[in-house]
Amino acid sequence: MIELKDVVKKYGRKEVLKGVSFTASKGEITCLIGVNGVGKTTILNAIMKLTPIQSGEILVDDEKVTKETFEKVTFIPDATTMLPNLTIEEAMDFMNDFYKVWNQKRADELLKFFNLNQKDKISSLSKGNTAKTNLLLGLALDVDYVLMDEPFSGIDIFSREQIAEVFTTHLIEDRGVIITTHEINDIEHLIDKAVLLDEGKIYKEFNTEEIRENEGKSVIDVMREVYRG
Amino acid sequence: MNIQFNNRDPVYVQVVRHFKNQIAKGFLQPGQAIPSRRELANQLKINPNTAQRAYKEMEEEGLIKTEKNQPSRVTSNESILQDLRDELIIQAVNEFVTSVKSINVPLDDALTLVKQKYEGEKGDSDD
Repeated sequence: MIELKDVVKKYGRKEVLKGVSFTASKGEITCLIGVNGVGKTTILNAIMKLTPIQSGEILVDDEKVTKETFEKVTFIPDATTMLPNLTIEEAMDFMNDFYKVWNQKRADELLKFFNLNQKDKISSLSKGNTAKTNLLLGLALDVDYVLMDEPFSGIDIFSREQIAEVFTTHLIEDRGVIITTHEINDIEHLIDKAVLLDEGKIYKEFNTEEIRENEGKSVIDVMREVYRG
Repeated sequence: MNIQFNNRDPVYVQVVRHFKNQIAKGFLQPGQAIPSRRELANQLKINPNTAQRAYKEMEEEGLIKTEKNQPSRVTSNESILQDLRDELIIQAVNEFVTSVKSINVPLDDALTLVKQKYEGEKGDSDD
């Protein structure tokens, strides 16, 4: 489980996370939802220790994030990529050299699943295929938790469908997934848990099936209450 | 298999409802193997945990049976299947009565129409 306890993050004087607490379990897809600029990406960066926090705690499997726990988590950034001048194949080789936990068999499966051509240069890919390549490079790592930043943002509907489909397959296995999005439509039936953020605070954290069962509400109904309420 | 999901009922409930319809209509036969949880999640584009929940529910209701290392199968238990048909008929009649009552149609008129329609359209099915 990834657990945030009262996390506060400031950029200068501006408080972007004002005491954020939530949990994300293994074997579940947790979705951080909020309009742009509410701190979703900051949360992922904080979990990855890419940005320091001022107070609060972040635990991975009950331990503070250290070099060891760090190897349990991977971060898939949004459609920009670190390796534009490489072909997909070269990028996979790079990952293989860099990470002990690289799983080439799963990488090959993902390549097939996304219909990507490994000889293509990453800088020549469409936005949809860049997003898929990013996912491939992240999901091919044998880690327990996967953080994905806006995997559906700014790409065509068929790419979105294909990316959503990966969540239903064995390629995700029983890993814990945290994804951020401002658009829930494509994945309403795919997520286990929704965490609604507004202005650096958690407004509501709920299991999506439970809210349908107990209150007869869709995720969008709850979002409407929070963001328009 | 394809289900048009609504957003306000639990997905697992909608999946169970779909299976009940398929069984009652005979599209799924007693004893027939059904997809694994993972296959179902993939086919319906739903969360694997939800597929798991739907199967658990159907197992508890006795609609499907799972033996170790075997695919789950539709039950062959005739009394469970009869209960299922009864459940669906009562559900359909309830819905019908509710909507007919709401527009104040006399029972006899409604029944005459039902008879005509039923005989005229026998064999048709809608989903």
